[in-house]
Amino acid sequence: MDFTALPHKYQDDPYLSPKTFTESVIFSLSLNSGSTAAKYFINSNSKFFTKDFSEPHIPCLMPENVSLRLEEVSEEALKERIHVRKVKAAVDLYDQLLQAGTAVSMETTHDLLDLICLYCDKDPVQEGQPVSEDLSKERGKEAQKSRWHTLLSKQSLNSSWKKNKNAERIFNLLPERDTRCYSALIRGMVMHGAPAKAFSFYTDMLNHRLKPDIHIFNALISAAPHVNTNSQDRSEAIIKLLKEMNQQNVQPNLQTFNNVLRSLKYCPPYNRSLSLTTMAEMKALGIAPSLASYNHILSIFTKQVSGKPGITDVLEEIMSELAGKSFTCQDPDDVSFFLNAMKLCWAEKDLELAYKVQSLVEVGENWRLLGHHYMQNVYYGCFFRLQCMMEHIDVVLKWFRQHYPSLYYPTHGEILYLLRALEMDGRLDLLPSVWKDICSLQYEFKETIIEELLSLMTQEKHSLEVQKSFGECALDVKKMIDQNVHGVDFKWSNSALSNLILLLVRADMTQQAWNMLQLFKSKNRVPREDLIEEFLMVCRSSGSPDGAVKLVQLSSAFGLSATPRLAKFTLAKFKLTDEQRSELSELESAESPEKETL
Amino acid sequence: MAVSLGSAGSMRLLRSIIRSGSLCSSSGSRSLHVTAVCCKSSAGRFRRGKGDTPVTYEQAHAPHYIGHRKGWLSQNTSNLKGVKDAADRTVEDMFIRRFIAGTFHSCLADELVIKRRGNMIILCAIMLQKLLPIKMYFLIGYTETLLSHLYKCPVKLEIQTIENKVIYKWF
Repeated sequence: MDFTALPHKYQDDPYLSPKTFTESVIFSLSLNSGSTAAKYFINSNSKFFTKDFSEPHIPCLMPENVSLRLEEVSEEALKERIHVRKVKAAVDLYDQLLQAGTAVSMETTHDLLDLICLYCDKDPVQEGQPVSEDLSKERGKEAQKSRWHTLLSKQSLNSSWKKNKNAERIFNLLPERDTRCYSALIRGMVMHGAPAKAFSFYTDMLNHRLKPDIHIFNALISAAPHVNTNSQDRSEAIIKLLKEMNQQNVQPNLQTFNNVLRSLKYCPPYNRSLSLTTMAEMKALGIAPSLASYNHILSIFTKQVSGKPGITDVLEEIMSELAGKSFTCQDPDDVSFFLNAMKLCWAEKDLELAYKVQSLVEVGENWRLLGHHYMQNVYYGCFFRLQCMMEHIDVVLKWFRQHYPSLYYPTHGEILYLLRALEMDGRLDLLPSVWKDICSLQYEFKETIIEELLSLMTQEKHSLEVQKSFGECALDVKKMIDQNVHGVDFKWSNSALSNLILLLVRADMTQQAWNMLQLFKSKNRVPREDLIEEFLMVCRSSGSPDGAVKLVQLSSAFGLSATPRLAKFTLAKFKLTDEQRSELSELESAESPEKETL
Repeated sequence: MAVSLGSAGSMRLLRSIIRSGSLCSSSGSRSLHVTAVCCKSSAGRFRRGKGDTPVTYEQAHAPHYIGHRKGWLSQNTSNLKGVKDAADRTVEDMFIRRFIAGTFHSCLADELVIKRRGNMIILCAIMLQKLLPIKMYFLIGYTETLLSHLYKCPVKLEIQTIENKVIYKWF
């Protein structure tokens, strides 16, 4: 996958390119909402867009006919409504046709039933139109939280079959019912949460000696776990359905096997052997398993058993079988395979396996199967964390610079992993460059990150240039936090503030250090003792006795226990005036009664 | 010298002209104004005033500098020999310029550059950072879809943003 630049939909401009995950999602959403707004205008004012001078004709650039042309009560009008997917209008027209006595052809009835059952007797939410009142009431608060999830799955998943009055009514009105009618109803029931009814319809169908088709079996197999309660019943139901399929001479397809594997997830502990036999059957019939099948097998074998040795054997075998193959999307569950595989590698800390998974992603067009934005980010996040823990820092940083910001946006937890990796490999001099990335990710107000960063920088003394760069970085940290672009209330902790000033002292920026010392009082924080001590040393080497006296006074103001020791040190090592001497001896003796009691 | 044949007050002049038969104006209620010919081109030039109007590089240079100091704002092959529909391209360009000026109101820092490559129209704009990126992307999606549907060809927007307009001179 191309990591050299951002995806093409974003404009190639620093102001307009996303630097954090939320920005990338919200920019692509606003792009799409702009197009939907334009499509709304185009479809509502279609007379301005109908002039067709393109050669050859481009159908996707013409306005869509949203309004219905045929108004009379006829089968043609019914077909049109079904084609445009207006469920309520179609049902009304069908009723009118029946009342008028005109016969509706079997095909049209089949299409009508399919339509009603697919959309559960509700009009689907059209693109670019406002969500209807009842739908939005139903979804309520959830809609506001996960608006884009509901946009992805245009139908409300909480729609219930009970609210569907028309499907069964029309079904019962039919003089003769064949397999397709039953098929529409059964699949609709399974999709919209009435699995028990689906099974009763199925037995009904068998009683009428009709032959079920492959879609009915697929739907029933996926509904089986929801009808039965314990694992044994579930697995037996699935096996029974497969045997009946065999009896009726219906050939299974990929969807059948994927549904079997998905339903087997609900029946531990029978599922291990059954899933392997399913895979063997698939191979015997010559159906190539899709990534969804491997995904289900992975979940079956690795559920709730983390920590045991040999858990990654399944994934190893799968990877060796899949190496170098390219896949297309054949099942909605295909997209979870890579994510689950990488999550497993992270849980078991297996870097080799992670590299194998990544190399499979890089084959051909397999990157399309990584799923949507969020799944992709979690996938790369797991990979990055694994690399931080186990790889050399140069490799980690190279991967990071390549993949951020074009493909991957680290979370602040992952930045902490990166900082720890820098510490482990002793490359703390790279911290200022990582700080720049932290700023562009807009994590500069996260207290954990600031604390970790500052404490790492003050851990040990480095060479002069490195110290200077740390000092610059510390000033930059302060500046960014003061700017407070995000309006977040940042709370300095004692150690963070002390570390900041320590860095300035070590980088010979004493004037700024003095200014920052005043912050302790204003923010109600207490400086650490080693800060005062080191500052005192610096004052000694630069020869400023006034500064030293001020420091000791400061430490006594904060009630630090080291005050007498510092006062003694100052008296001994500095050239002081008599006033200063008297003050300091006061401070030295003031604390000593406490010292004696200790 | 402007010659005005007003109806009130110059009946004598009118009568004499009607008698001479050189100029015929019906019933004397309409008037014709003519001016002397002004042999001076004024297209695309910024008139110098006091030095308080900021002017961009594009605006400061007159049209005879196109090809020498200026580039072309509208790049298509309609003016080559044997290529038809140059007028249609021009009208489309005018519409696109006004459309973009209205959609990205007061955000354009300089003139739009319209390039036609294959069957695509590529609009290159330099914009000011007046709008939030979210709003910019909404408008970008909107213009691309609307113009594609209007002109039945892919329309792409390539935007660069700057903070302030670049002032070349003060006129």
